[in-house]
Amino acid sequence: MKLIPLAFKNILRKKTRSILTMASIVLPLFVICILGTMIRTLEADPTGGKGMFRLIVRHKVSLANFFPEAYREPVKQMPGVAAITILNWFGGQYIDNQPRNMFQRFAVEPESFLAVADEITIVEGTAQDWTSDRRGVLVGSLLAKRYGWKIGDQFVLKGDIFPVNLELTVRAIFKAPDETSVYFNRTYVEESVPWAKGLVGTLWIKADSPDAVARLTRMIDERFENTPYPTKTETEKEFQNGFISMLGNVKLVLNAISLAIGLVILLIAANTMAMTARERVTEIAVLRTLGFPKSDILTMVLAESLILALIGGGLGLAFFSLMFPGFRQGLLESPMGGFAAGMKLFPEVLIVGFLITLAIGLAAGLVPAFRSAQREITDGLRQVA
Amino acid sequence: MAEPFIRIESIVKQYVRDTQVLTVLDGLSLSVEEGDFVALMGPSGSGKTTLLNLIAGIDKPTSGRIAVGKSEVSSMSEAALARYRSENIGFIFQLYNLVPVLTAFENVELPLLLTKMSRAQRRKQVELALSIVGLADRMDHYPRQLSGGQEQRVAIARAIATDPKVLVADEPTGDLDAKSGEEILILLERLNDEFKKTIVMVTHDPRAASRAHRLVHLDKGVLKEDIRAEGREVGLEAARSAVVS
Ligand SMILES: Nc1ncnc2c1ncn2[C@@H]1O[C@H](COP(=O)(O)OP(=O)(O)OP(=O)(O)O)[C@@H](O)[C@H]1O
Ligand SMILES: [Mg+2]
Repeated sequence: MKLIPLAFKNILRKKTRSILTMASIVLPLFVICILGTMIRTLEADPTGGKGMFRLIVRHKVSLANFFPEAYREPVKQMPGVAAITILNWFGGQYIDNQPRNMFQRFAVEPESFLAVADEITIVEGTAQDWTSDRRGVLVGSLLAKRYGWKIGDQFVLKGDIFPVNLELTVRAIFKAPDETSVYFNRTYVEESVPWAKGLVGTLWIKADSPDAVARLTRMIDERFENTPYPTKTETEKEFQNGFISMLGNVKLVLNAISLAIGLVILLIAANTMAMTARERVTEIAVLRTLGFPKSDILTMVLAESLILALIGGGLGLAFFSLMFPGFRQGLLESPMGGFAAGMKLFPEVLIVGFLITLAIGLAAGLVPAFRSAQREITDGLRQVA
Repeated sequence: MAEPFIRIESIVKQYVRDTQVLTVLDGLSLSVEEGDFVALMGPSGSGKTTLLNLIAGIDKPTSGRIAVGKSEVSSMSEAALARYRSENIGFIFQLYNLVPVLTAFENVELPLLLTKMSRAQRRKQVELALSIVGLADRMDHYPRQLSGGQEQRVAIARAIATDPKVLVADEPTGDLDAKSGEEILILLERLNDEFKKTIVMVTHDPRAASRAHRLVHLDKGVLKEDIRAEGREVGLEAARSAVVS
């Protein structure tokens, strides 16, 4: 420990090299933090944990297949079902097909919908306003902000799966972990598209206990197994994960990129440490000659590596924390708005960033530190600097 | 008569490289009295540095015994050797080997960090050592701000900071001009005279060797000549003859 002050001074010895090494940690760490935030956002449950208690029933083949509305009654009677509603993916387009105008549109059964989607809080208008207007629409506050929608405003959704143009009136605005969806009455769709009558895309169930979740998953699928419309029941969480894995395993890719970046930083830092240690062979031999034990040398070289990494890493994390709000704001106004809404300055991302820095500092310094400590004093002195 | 201070008994030092065995010191024996000033001479490769390193405890003999005072140097563990060096030996190198990022003060303080001294005690000791070498006014200078001779004086201050009994010097004037070299030699003489340091100094320079009280001549790992001064110093003539022979 006595040589730690010397470790600090050594970093100042070749300032340019130290600064370059630190810079080579700052920027990649910034990128790793962004990737980590994306991964965490993908993993995060937009229902805030409630998704664990909720089930989604869909056609066994795919989300594009429908099944009869009549399934609802028998399911509703099953023990453990606290609430059940109908949720149909509408698709369609708003204004145009531009990515920035993409958001989720659902045709639902308003009366039962709010009982299941209990993370939704209506902040403008009332539930009554919405359920009583067949052409009413409930919109997320983030979307309302993006499009400047106020209560009473009207807009049109052009259907594609369902060939109908819906003329909707904003009746209520909600706050929830995910505020990038709109919900309207499926009756309106059924009236205009006769073939859609009596068909549902998914049933959405709130279970009354974790036990019920497991039991219901099995019971429901068994009940409809040998019908023309077999079902697949998943927890909402699984359903979303399945959705994410459909997106070409984004998470895996992001993780791989982070890992690669981490390894590059490690190589750069390790190279710097190897260079520093090599330049100081004689000096280290002199310290040992004076009586400093091997452990002090080991600590000194490791400390130097750690200091270098931690300063670089600390700057990277600070830089990320400072830039994050602006970065998120930028994304909110882009096609990734829905995704950005879920983004936060996750503490775990900062912690992992710090741990990566620590690991890089240790790993980069370990080999030079051991070599420096183990080298015979006479060999070190013989080496002409 | 009491036992000599440094006792070297039939030491052999061999290096094994591939299948070849290189015998650098070949059964050498040597005793040095406390307070003596010994010059080690000999052709390049004769084993002078090796012998010095063995006395100083930074290297181990292949066989034989080395004892310094009460310390059985040749049978010590690594940790014990580190302690032995820090308590008993002061090192002076040809290329000074100061730590460039530390000031003169901090360089001299380095060996004191291994003692139990308080900060204030260390400061006093560093100031004392630097004033002995005549550089009390250069405490805050970095090595690159000093001349070679001054650097070597700082290195000597570092060597005496812990007040060790023995000073080992490997060609301490080898990299200096005549005048600076002379200053270093005067300083070493004074440390020997006034502060009773036992000094073993390797040198190629007859003029440096002439200042010692005893001249030991190594050749191919064995003791070839051992001249004791009749007066205070061995003298230039003896030193010259040692180089020639
Ligand atoms: N670690 C080592 N491995 C192999 N050979 C070594 C090692 N150390 C020293 N030698 C050899 O031992 C011999 C004596 O070396 P030493 O440094 O003691 O000589 P020296 O008398 O100090 O010479 P010089 O006057 O050139 O400094 C040399 O031949 C040298 O090459
Ligand atoms: Mg030598």
